[in-house]
Amino acid sequence: MIASVPRKMFLSQFAVAILFAASITQTKADTGPVEASPRDLGTANATPQAAAGEIDRLLQEEVLANLSAGQTLASVTSDQAFLRRVYFDFVGEPPTPGETTAFCLDPSPDKRTKLVERLLADKRFGRNWGRYWRDVILYRRSADQALLASQSLETFLIGQFNGQPRWNAIAKSFITAQGNIYDKGETGLFMAHLAEPVEVAAETSRIFLGIQIQCAQCHDHPTDRWKRQQFHEFVAFFPRASMRRQPTQPPTFELTSFDMGPQRRRPGMMTGRGSLEHFMPNLKDPASEGSLMMPVFFATGDKLPTGTTDHERRHALAAWLTSPNNPWFATALVNRLWAELVGEGFYEPIDDLGPDRSASAPRTLDYLCRQFVAHDYDVKWLMGAIASTDAYQRESRPRRHPDQVPFAANVAYRLRADQLFDAVALAVGVSFDTSSRTPARAGLGFRGGPRFAFAQQFGYDPSVRRDEITSTIPQVLSLMNSPLVNQRITGRQPGGALARLLDGPQDDEAVPVELYLRCLCREPNDAELAVCLDHVKSTPDRAEAFGDIFWSLLNSQEFLYRN
Amino acid sequence: MNTSPVLRHHLHLSVQRSHVAGRRDFLKVLSAAGAVGLTDVLSLRADELRRQGTACILLWMQGGPSQFETFDPKPGHANGGETKAIATRLPGVHFSENLPYLADIADRLALVRSMTTREGEHQRATYLMHTSYLPMASVKYPAMGAVVARELPRPDCELPSFVRIGPQLNVAGGGFLGTRYDPFIVLSAGRLPENTRPATEMTQFDRRLALMARLESAKSGAPPAPSEHEQLYAGAARMIKSSQMAAFDLEREPEKVRSQYGSGSFASSCLLARRLIESGVTFVEAVLGNWDTHQENFPRSRTLCEQLDRPFAALVTDLAERGLLDKTLVVWMGEFGRTPRVNPRGGRDHFPRAFSAVLAGGGVRTGQVLGATDDGGEAVKDRPVTEKDLFQTVYRALGVNSRQEYMSPIGRPIKPVDGGQVVQELVG
Repeated sequence: MIASVPRKMFLSQFAVAILFAASITQTKADTGPVEASPRDLGTANATPQAAAGEIDRLLQEEVLANLSAGQTLASVTSDQAFLRRVYFDFVGEPPTPGETTAFCLDPSPDKRTKLVERLLADKRFGRNWGRYWRDVILYRRSADQALLASQSLETFLIGQFNGQPRWNAIAKSFITAQGNIYDKGETGLFMAHLAEPVEVAAETSRIFLGIQIQCAQCHDHPTDRWKRQQFHEFVAFFPRASMRRQPTQPPTFELTSFDMGPQRRRPGMMTGRGSLEHFMPNLKDPASEGSLMMPVFFATGDKLPTGTTDHERRHALAAWLTSPNNPWFATALVNRLWAELVGEGFYEPIDDLGPDRSASAPRTLDYLCRQFVAHDYDVKWLMGAIASTDAYQRESRPRRHPDQVPFAANVAYRLRADQLFDAVALAVGVSFDTSSRTPARAGLGFRGGPRFAFAQQFGYDPSVRRDEITSTIPQVLSLMNSPLVNQRITGRQPGGALARLLDGPQDDEAVPVELYLRCLCREPNDAELAVCLDHVKSTPDRAEAFGDIFWSLLNSQEFLYRN
Repeated sequence: MNTSPVLRHHLHLSVQRSHVAGRRDFLKVLSAAGAVGLTDVLSLRADELRRQGTACILLWMQGGPSQFETFDPKPGHANGGETKAIATRLPGVHFSENLPYLADIADRLALVRSMTTREGEHQRATYLMHTSYLPMASVKYPAMGAVVARELPRPDCELPSFVRIGPQLNVAGGGFLGTRYDPFIVLSAGRLPENTRPATEMTQFDRRLALMARLESAKSGAPPAPSEHEQLYAGAARMIKSSQMAAFDLEREPEKVRSQYGSGSFASSCLLARRLIESGVTFVEAVLGNWDTHQENFPRSRTLCEQLDRPFAALVTDLAERGLLDKTLVVWMGEFGRTPRVNPRGGRDHFPRAFSAVLAGGGVRTGQVLGATDDGGEAVKDRPVTEKDLFQTVYRALGVNSRQEYMSPIGRPIKPVDGGQVVQELVG
């Protein structure tokens, strides 16, 4: 069933060359584990592989031993499917046909582990995850000016993820950020809401703790434990962080501390800006000033007196929030990254945890969280461990029925806009990014370029449950008819990907194989190949016939999905 | 040409029949379970019938139009500036001199001069007046157009149910109701919307669609059962090939009608709005931008009104002449009004405290002016109408239940509009 050696690849000299190059990279460059942690001893500090074994054991006990009637456990994926999945998950783009061939031909038993290690060290890893977290923050922006900071936010995140990303250090950077939004990408969380305290507090809690405490903004939630006052005490960490606007072109914003000025807000103002302390509005009399709030962190009970400086407040909060005493911090990230990689979270939606929800496999989650903390919040360790599990490596299926147990298969979902954009570019063999005109200064030209336009159409908020992401008619129209895709897939365009294939010495069977590898990172099965050949035979114009195949693959559901 | 849409309609209905039957069955089940009485079922059916063909056109004035230079002139007062007032078809009611065509159909309009909100920032106010909610990081509220498109589906329509014409607005769309209810954007009326022309000849286009379906079933080895993906492609292909796409081609409109709408891009947008409604689109938003007159308010407002006046009046008249006005609600508004005081640059700044909005058609009681501002236009003197009141009124006029609750992704029940009162004088 698993086609380990592609049949037609030897026909393409180009592919063979890449095959060699890729296999050399694989064997030479990745001898040592990326994750050479000196403390990697004992069970408290398991290697990714040891942790993966324990996770699979716990999952078996907790959920998989109780498959529902008619439910089966998906088998481990083929090499081709694994390769495409891990490429999208780690570096945000598909493997080339040469990489696919090289990986499938590689006989070594630990090639999957080696591949994961190699991709964790790849520069594209930071780019992929930097864009991911940029979207997590900016899709919830409450002001479009936040897009001015998009580029610097992305740059900051890429730097973090291409280094040794420690989630506690990243969180601290965001919470204690200061300075110009174009120089300091970590100001992006505050910029997304122009430092409006209520919104920044709500987003800090949602992103770093997975707790939607802002529901308690207006009233006590009937089931949740956090009370309205606790939300407003949390907001009290943020009133002195101020986003100052300079009327330059484009405007400049600077995140600064505002420690001098009126203590009370002007009554009747809609937002609580321009005050040194936070006041909880009186719902019965919204025009009154409300009650003065002391900064208290609801998750641990740690508190500060009023009158403390912005620096004191945000640094204290950053320390408490990222402390091992606060279990939500590790849980939120583990749950989110598990969901990204396995396709379903322990808690869903992935940013709605809290003490009154229950995880679908609590002991598994707890083990993973402990290990993550023991590894000092090392994001790459966490991803390496998850990718080594059977739970990750199973074949993908559409979302399970609610009656069925989770994690019996990996769950397929729509690629994010950046991933899809790069997949289209690689398939048609063109780079759409106008890299020569890289903005000299971050923030400029943020609306420009085909990537941004593509994201406008295909982008989605990555915190939303993936089975709620549905395709739209404009997306379909764009893939079907837009010049971005269609100008480049005809066999008649000289130098185009298809024209080069058709000019080569390959026979009619080799071309569809190459197109499948380019678009879907796999070979066609016999039935698909037969349909392709039949189509070529029955279509008068050979170039047109192959163009049709190319078009059909780029428009297929499989192309749009991470499977 | 005359029979084909009818035929298509019937064909389409027969395809949709299973869906309709499912809905009736649902009611039957509810009724049998005692959850809903038979009279309730009947009144639900009656309600459904009444709502058939109901549509809405929102004329959105981006930037915040000056009420002084449009529907609430103050010629005797210093705040009124140089703008003069003219009489309208309604005795005692005056519009600004910039709106002669609308003055002539004032009997077909319901003017609200007492709009009041508390949001004076463009983006937030635009969001507020599109959703009735302020933007919030945790919930993406659906726009009025998305709610209406969802509640008033038109199964005979092969075009998108919510269309927005004109300059791109970065504002709410489907929100948590899903991308399905995002507006279909038409950047410029008179041209086919983006990517609706196949990249190849139609025969090759069909050949590709067929090949895609064959490859899909070859992949799974299963007999072809249309997946959601294929249904979406089928829907998009049906739209591209639909005779209703002719609605986008303004050249097909008789010259006599076109000339009534006047010239300019907003005239084309209004004409397109009518053609889309006629083709079965539920909600059309036509955008006229550049109302943010911080400088040179008076000449700029005059120019903007020239772009607005004739097309708006022609749209209402045209809908009435075609018998569509009773079931088509037309709403005119922007995100806020402009300050009574004229600033040193001859401009007016943002003013959410007292401004105007206009309704027409849709069964609304027209030929009236509701509410009033004081002599200087500085505050609402009589009958304040908030954004929530306006949304309640619009939903009532369209037969959309504003008290139902949608479930947001984090399990929080959310109403199409939370609070506010229906303005009974308009729809009572």
